[in-house]
Amino acid sequence: MRVYQLLGTIALSVISALPATAQEFNWRANDGQSINLMLNNHPWSQAMRDLVAEFTAKTGIKTQIEIFNEEQFRARLTTLMQGKSPDLDVYMSLTSREGAIFEKAGWYSDLAPMIADKKMTMPDFNYEDFGASIRNASTFGNRIVALPINQEGPLFYWRKDVFEKCKVAEPKAIEDLMPAAAALKACDSSMGAWAARGLRGAVPYALTAFINNLGGSYATPDGKPGLSQPNTLKGLTLYAGLLKDYGPPGALNHTFTQVIELLGQGKVAMVHESSNEFANIMRFPGRAQDLGVKVLPPGRETKISRPVAIGWTIAVSNFSQHKPAAWYFLQWATSSEIQAKLIKAGVAPPRASAFQGSDFNTWVSEIPTRRAWADALIEIGKTGTGVYQSPTDRIPEARDIIGTAVQEIVQGAAPADAARKADEALAKLQ
Amino acid sequence: MAAPAMIFAVGMIGFPIGYAIWLSLSTVSPGADPVFSGLDNYGRLIHDPEFWNALKLTLALYAMSLSMQLVLGTWLGLLLGRSNAARGLVRTILVSPFMLPPVVVGMMAIVILDPSFGIANWLLAELGLPPGLWLSDPKTVLVTVAALDTWQWTPFVALIVMGSYLSLPSDVFEAVELDGATWWQRFRFVTLPMLAPTLVTAAVLRSVDILRFFDVIYLTTQGGPGNASTTLNILAYRRGFEFFDFGYASAIMVTLSTLVFGSVLVLAKLRRAVSW
Repeated sequence: MRVYQLLGTIALSVISALPATAQEFNWRANDGQSINLMLNNHPWSQAMRDLVAEFTAKTGIKTQIEIFNEEQFRARLTTLMQGKSPDLDVYMSLTSREGAIFEKAGWYSDLAPMIADKKMTMPDFNYEDFGASIRNASTFGNRIVALPINQEGPLFYWRKDVFEKCKVAEPKAIEDLMPAAAALKACDSSMGAWAARGLRGAVPYALTAFINNLGGSYATPDGKPGLSQPNTLKGLTLYAGLLKDYGPPGALNHTFTQVIELLGQGKVAMVHESSNEFANIMRFPGRAQDLGVKVLPPGRETKISRPVAIGWTIAVSNFSQHKPAAWYFLQWATSSEIQAKLIKAGVAPPRASAFQGSDFNTWVSEIPTRRAWADALIEIGKTGTGVYQSPTDRIPEARDIIGTAVQEIVQGAAPADAARKADEALAKLQ
Repeated sequence: MAAPAMIFAVGMIGFPIGYAIWLSLSTVSPGADPVFSGLDNYGRLIHDPEFWNALKLTLALYAMSLSMQLVLGTWLGLLLGRSNAARGLVRTILVSPFMLPPVVVGMMAIVILDPSFGIANWLLAELGLPPGLWLSDPKTVLVTVAALDTWQWTPFVALIVMGSYLSLPSDVFEAVELDGATWWQRFRFVTLPMLAPTLVTAAVLRSVDILRFFDVIYLTTQGGPGNASTTLNILAYRRGFEFFDFGYASAIMVTLSTLVFGSVLVLAKLRRAVSW
């Protein structure tokens, strides 16, 4: 009887062990496959090119990476996806911008079933570790279409030494910006007081916090375009007014490259520009010592601080012939281990755990400005929004219209007229 | 014997053009197959103020660039044709602008002409002249873009003119000199008519390029400020690749292609008229 009991126990153990073995995640499950990646030119992509050999060593999956500047990247990606090309497996996507269009077009693979599959997903993957705002931007219904690779949003950078020299107080409320700019201009006319994006398609990214913090919104309570609402108009007027009265000449063609160049070269005292450019700014001599960084100040009365917080993502093409291998790349590239390495390339991690990691803390402790930058990123991760246009699926077009309204105000149009015209155009996109 | 050439022509030239026309007659949503919609996209063109603005800008840019390049190219070509000094070196230098990739020209323009940190305004300041906004002012952006194209392509016209001038029969010039013709009379009644077929050929080549001009504009202004440099090419690119409106973008491109073909046909007819 004991023998039978023993045999029975052994048999049960073997049977119960079998499914467990079958469900075990194995990094080498797709050994020998090759995947093609198309990436936008971004600090993450450059760093990835150096790191990807580690992925091949770990999984046996070979990679072919193509990196293009953003315009060429978008044109090529659109062409390949519209042609349902099976040649592309993984691509970068700014889901807060094109997510709705790509999802409707059926260009994303659904990652949710793969995340739920223990055989395909590493045990310590922890999807909830990614910031909520950027997770939401990549989720459509029950479908998860991409994984975040960084976290970014516009931050307020100011030259502490110039403020001190001119005896101007650090702006604590958004309403302080205009008087500060006026005082700085009066104090030192050789230095620009303010710089921010003026190129129409790039404007809403930096404009949004102005609108939100002053109590405005891109949409009316019933979901219509709302640039003409009084508080929204205040935000538009302030943003355009700063550019018009205190911005650099030629600001309407400026995007992050020019704004960063001006700040880096010491030609401007305040900017509102992407957190993503922090590493580039720090390369300029002196900026690590004299720069202050924080989230754009809140409205004095509203107390609202609601900046943009977005993240680039990586997605698996729905036409890929190597979806499991592509998913392995996504997991590896967004893992805590790789994010810790990417921090040194100036890529802000989208995983909350990476902000608490010892690597990250050691790195930010080296320079006080880094600590300020990290604190600002943590804050925008909690308070930020991925929405910076009125409700529509045609997001790039909507942002273009909003940017055009700002350009018109800078060129002298009455803010109310520009906003009304924009609202009419935006209504056609709904 | 002609069959391979015919197949090649149909496959490589006819198919893309035919497909673009088909797309222009269709509604194309991202991820979906084209759905025939007749002349809807062309109907939209007629009622789209952005299209008319882009057409106006395209034609204005064409007129400015072509006239500047033909006038300056002819002057430079004749100057080179009449001078033997360092002709080889000068030719090499002249070739260099149009050997540059458009992306380099665009980046150079950004660096030189940026009103805040560009060298152009610094030079003007050194000379005591007021600064310019160049590519950042709706009033000057188109002229600046035309000047950039002229800087790059005038040497091309000059080399064509020089080559043609050097091959003209010298006895004609000797005869008019003996007749006592002034410099202007020699140029107006002898040189220019004899160079006319060459100039028209240069105009054909440059017309095609100028009407298709895209890269430098996109790099430097992306069609802005506002829509001040949004030519038909820029408008079509933005509609197609930024706003995913492929059918409408194709209609714009078919219209632009018609404009290019039309200009070539007119100039080809002109070439026959001025041949000698």
